[in-house]
Amino acid sequence: MSYLKIENMEIAFNSLKGKFVAVKDINLEVEKGQIISIIGHSGCGKSTIMNAIGGMVFPSKGKVVLNGKEIKGPGPDRGIVFQNYSLLPWLTVYQNIFQAVDAALRNKNKSEKHELSEKYLKMVNLWEHREKYPKQISGGMKQRVAIARAFAIDPEVLLLDEPFGALDALTKASLHIELLKLWNLTHRSKTIVMVTHDIEEAVFLSDRIVVMNNGPAATIREIEEVHLPRPRNKKDTVNLPEYKIIRERLLNLLIEKVALDESEFYKEERAA
Amino acid sequence: MKRAITLTMTLTRDWMKGTTPSSSQGLHTTIKRIISIFTGLSYNLIGIVLLLGIWHVVSLVTDGELPGPIATSSVFWELISNPVYDYGPNDKGIALQLYSSLSRVFTGFILGSIIAIPIGLLMGANSFCRKIFYPIVQILKPVSPLAWFPIGLVAFQSASDATIFIIVITSLWPTLINTAFGVASIPDDHKNVAKAFGFSKWKYLTKVLLPYSLPHIITGLRLSIGVAWLVIVAGEMLSGGMGIGFFVWDSWNALSLEKVISAILIIGLVGLLLDRVFSYLEKKVTYSI
Repeated sequence: MSYLKIENMEIAFNSLKGKFVAVKDINLEVEKGQIISIIGHSGCGKSTIMNAIGGMVFPSKGKVVLNGKEIKGPGPDRGIVFQNYSLLPWLTVYQNIFQAVDAALRNKNKSEKHELSEKYLKMVNLWEHREKYPKQISGGMKQRVAIARAFAIDPEVLLLDEPFGALDALTKASLHIELLKLWNLTHRSKTIVMVTHDIEEAVFLSDRIVVMNNGPAATIREIEEVHLPRPRNKKDTVNLPEYKIIRERLLNLLIEKVALDESEFYKEERAA
Repeated sequence: MKRAITLTMTLTRDWMKGTTPSSSQGLHTTIKRIISIFTGLSYNLIGIVLLLGIWHVVSLVTDGELPGPIATSSVFWELISNPVYDYGPNDKGIALQLYSSLSRVFTGFILGSIIAIPIGLLMGANSFCRKIFYPIVQILKPVSPLAWFPIGLVAFQSASDATIFIIVITSLWPTLINTAFGVASIPDDHKNVAKAFGFSKWKYLTKVLLPYSLPHIITGLRLSIGVAWLVIVAGEMLSGGMGIGFFVWDSWNALSLEKVISAILIIGLVGLLLDRVFSYLEKKVTYSI
C-alpha cells in the first residue's frame, strides 16, 4: 500500500460553456520521502493535480488517499509553497512564518511555535531579515520564506507549485540546493510533490517525473524514474550520463509537437 | 523663478564645497528640501492670489454688491479675533459655532461608521449579504440629505438630533461601499494561504481581511467625513439654533455678505483640514507590496 495514492481521478469544473474537464484518468502512487515532479506545458492541469492533493479542489471522479485516508480538504499534514510566494505583505518575514505555524499546529504552545519559526527561518538563512517586510526583500528571499513557512508546520507532504518559476537562473540553482538541504535536514522523510515546467529542475531534484499530455482533459503521458545518486550537487550531477539521457528523453516527450510543425513547414517550402 | 532657484542651489553647492566637505551632502539635501517646500508654497500662493484677483474684479464689476476681499478681510479678522463670545442665542463667536457643527458632524460620522463598517464587511465577505443589501444601498444612496430631515424630525422630535440623523444617513454610504469593495477584492492568493495553513476565523479576520481592507475603509471614511461636512451646513440652515450653517443663514438675514463669505472661507479651511487628517491616516495604514 503506497503512501500517497491518486486513483482514477478526474477533475472537472463547471463553466458557463458547460463542464470543463481539466484532467482525467490520473493514477499515481508515491512512496514516503520521495520527490516527485509533475511536468508539462501550460494548461495541462498539473497545478490542478497538486491542488487536489492540497485539498483546495475536489475530484469529480476518483480520489486522493494520503496515509490511508481520503483527502477532504486542506490540512496541516500538507504544506504548500505557492507559485507567487503568497506572503502576506503587511506581516514581517517572521510573522509570516509564525502566523502559519500558529494556525497549523494547534496542539503546541506559544514558545514551541516561536522556536519552530526561528529554527526554520535560520535554516533558510533569513534570521537577520526577520523584521523586514516582503517588499523589502528579493524574490529569491521571498521564496525562501515561503519554503521555510511550508516546512515549519512540519507537514508530511510538501506541495510546491512552480516554486522557482519567477526566479533568475542563479537564484533558482541556489534554491534547488536549499530545498534539498531542508529535505536532508528533515531526514528525507518528507514527501515532496512539485509542479514545474523546467526540465533541468525536474531531473535534478526528483526521484520520479510525471510527464503530462496537453490539456484539456489531460492525462499522464509517462512516468520517468530518475536514479541519480544522492546527495546531488550542481557540479557533478549534471555531468552524469544518466542525467543527460533523462533530460534528452523529457525534451523529446515535451517538444515533439514543435518539431512536427516545423517538418510540415519545410515540406511546404520544398514544394514551393 | 526656476532659474533663480537653480542659481541659489549652485551657489550653495559651491559655497559648501569650500567649507565642510564631510557633512555637505546632508546639508545639501536639507537645503534642497527647504527649496522644494518653498516652491510648493509659492504655487499655492499664486493660486490664492489668482482667486483674490478674480474675486476683486467680480466685486468691482458688481459695483460692491458682492463685497470684495478688502471689505471682507476686516470682517473676517473681527470674527476670528474674538471667536468665543456668547451674547445670547443669536449672537455667538465663530469658534462656538464651529465647535457646535463639528461635534454634530463627528457624532453623526461616528454613528454612521459604526453602522457602515460591519455591514460593509458583511457585504464584502458574503455574497448572500451582498445581494440582500445591494438594492437597499442603490436606492437610498442617491437621496439628497435634506429629504431625510422631516423623517429625522418625526423620529427624534428635535432639530439638533434630526441634523445628526441626516449626517448619519448620508455619510455612511461611502464607508459602506468602500469597505465592501475592499473585502470583496481580497486576492485569492491571500485567501489560499489562510486556507492552506488552516487559519481560524479570527486569525483570518485579523491577519488577512482587516489588514487588506483597512486602506479601503479609511478611504471610505475620508469620503464620508467630506460628505458629512458638506451636509452639516445645509442641515443647520434648516434646523437653526447654532452651528456654522445657521451662522451663514443668520448672516444672510442680517444682510452681511462679508460674514457669509468669511464663513465660506472658514468652512473650506476646516474641510481641507479634515481631509488632510484622513489622508494622513490613509497613508499610515497603507502597506506597500
